[in-house]
Amino acid sequence: MSVEVKNITKKYGRFTALDNINLKVESGELVALLGPSGSGKTTLLRTIAGLEFPDPGNAQVLFYGEDVTAIPASERKAGFAFQHYALFRHLSVFENIAFGLRVRPKATRPRETEIRARVEKLLNLIQLEPLGERLPSQLSGGQRQRVALARALAVEPKVLLLDEPFGALDAKVRKDLRRWLRQLHREIHLTTLFVTHDQEEALEVADRVAILRDGHIEQIGTPEEIYDHPASPFVYDFLGNVNLFSGRVKDGSVVISGTEYAAPGTAGDTEAEAIAFVRPHDVRITREPGDQKTFPALIVRCNAAGPIANLELERLNGGGQFSAQLSKEEFQQLQPKAGEQVFVELKKVKVFSEDYSI
Amino acid sequence: MNVNAPLPRSTTESPLVRRLLIGVALAFLSLFLFLPLISVFVQALAKGLAFYWHSVSDPMALSAIKLTCLAAGIAVPLNCVFGVCAAWAIAKFDFRGRNILLTLIDLPFSVSPVISGLIYVLVFGAQGWLGLYLNADHPALPRLANWLNDHDFKIIFAPPGIVLATIFVTIPFVARELIPLMLAQGRTEEEAARVLGAGGWQTFWRVTLPNIKWGLLYGIILCNARAMGEFGAVSVVSGKIRGRTNTLPLHIEALYDDYNFTGAFAAASLLALLALVTLGLKTWVEYKNAAALSLESQERMVPTSL
Repeated sequence: MSVEVKNITKKYGRFTALDNINLKVESGELVALLGPSGSGKTTLLRTIAGLEFPDPGNAQVLFYGEDVTAIPASERKAGFAFQHYALFRHLSVFENIAFGLRVRPKATRPRETEIRARVEKLLNLIQLEPLGERLPSQLSGGQRQRVALARALAVEPKVLLLDEPFGALDAKVRKDLRRWLRQLHREIHLTTLFVTHDQEEALEVADRVAILRDGHIEQIGTPEEIYDHPASPFVYDFLGNVNLFSGRVKDGSVVISGTEYAAPGTAGDTEAEAIAFVRPHDVRITREPGDQKTFPALIVRCNAAGPIANLELERLNGGGQFSAQLSKEEFQQLQPKAGEQVFVELKKVKVFSEDYSI
Repeated sequence: MNVNAPLPRSTTESPLVRRLLIGVALAFLSLFLFLPLISVFVQALAKGLAFYWHSVSDPMALSAIKLTCLAAGIAVPLNCVFGVCAAWAIAKFDFRGRNILLTLIDLPFSVSPVISGLIYVLVFGAQGWLGLYLNADHPALPRLANWLNDHDFKIIFAPPGIVLATIFVTIPFVARELIPLMLAQGRTEEEAARVLGAGGWQTFWRVTLPNIKWGLLYGIILCNARAMGEFGAVSVVSGKIRGRTNTLPLHIEALYDDYNFTGAFAAASLLALLALVTLGLKTWVEYKNAAALSLESQERMVPTSL
């Protein structure tokens, strides 16, 4: 019981949008397709909906085990919410939601009273009951997005596909709507895929996150898995701010600015150039040199607005700038000032042995 | 910003220059547009209402009106269907030859109507390519040729030629009006309809057509005005047989050539009236369309809040 794609490849001329994608979404699961623009995430979603067709080969799209590869979009029973909503501008909110029921062939079309009841129920679900007679142009962005969701849900889809569902909204509405979507998913438990380029959104909302890059899936896993154990420098970089330190690896450890750190996952006993990845919140700042694990740096800039303070620092022994994040309390205890010299300790260092280009 | 505040000097002209410019524009319009328009009606009624009525209810005039309505009645619906199909194809699909189709649609605009008429004579005339094939001496399709001969079916110097020429010169109006509109509206609403289970026809009737209806109406109005007023191409293929192949514009020319000026102007007043009605309708549709568009731009103005 799942939605599955197998061996999906899609080329536009010489550009490869999707490169042999395999993905399985379990029944009732909420999966995010996360990636930068041009990584193929929207193309993959449209392929599942039947709005794009994969290049011929052994490509397969399966809904609950049934092969729908050759079935047109109108018969797949997928609910799709478009990035810019694509509401029918000449129809009221009510008629927009009812559309999928009204276009059914006579034999399967519900009766008028039943259509009304179902639309009312959905209006209730999206908390827009009083606005049924409005035109889409008279709604705000967040309201339109919810209407688009209700319209997709009205046809009782087997899978819900959301293309950048919050992409065109401002930050505050995004957050509210995100929480609402999560709650909605808990209630109706529909297999859902959504596309986003916002890592925070993906990590917060999804059960599992698939990270796409240049048409292939770079890594898939739960938010914790991919955040704590990124499979590649690309994933590491894409999931949040990151500092790069050049160093040398040997015997499972890495040397940065004369300090040695454990670097699990690196192999080989020959010494080699390596780039170490450190999250800003894994940078600790002290006034005292302490043990040998610290190196000196100069504070370039402090920004303490909000719950987290951001610091820009520069390594004294050369090697460029990096950033650090402190909690409010840490910041107040330390009271760092721009232009001050401090000592830096790296709490967690990640080194990728193969290919470190991002 | 205060709109009533005096504009900076550099962007405005002295009152004298402004009045002069407005005066020149008005004088030009009066001389070349209003005066002729009024003179049409003055001349038409110069010999009184009775003569006017006699002129427009004359059998020759009635036959010309009938033929004009027939030509427009066939050309406008056909071009309407063609225009929607072409605009749909160009706006909603990518295909080989898309740009060629776009250029071809403009062809009737870029060639002189007289040449369009001549082309039809050369293709469909008795000595033309298809005319020769339909000749009994040279039977490519003997049965069809015989049938056509038996029924004295002709294209050139007959109503079918007039209809064909009218269709040709009015091809671009509807398509030209719809293509930019449909390109601007994009494909996502159609895609949304497809995913919701609508078939091709349902998508067209329920989503595409309501979105383009004002643009379509505008195109139809312009197309009809041109179809009824077309002179050049029609005059070449018609043969000007009075009471049989004269359209209203050709009828006016014939009366004028007979020195029947009042009669000519009486007939011309009908076309002038059509022009005024067209103008009125056009303004109304533009007003409606602007209202629909401003509703859409409001849509963009609404703050995106919950």
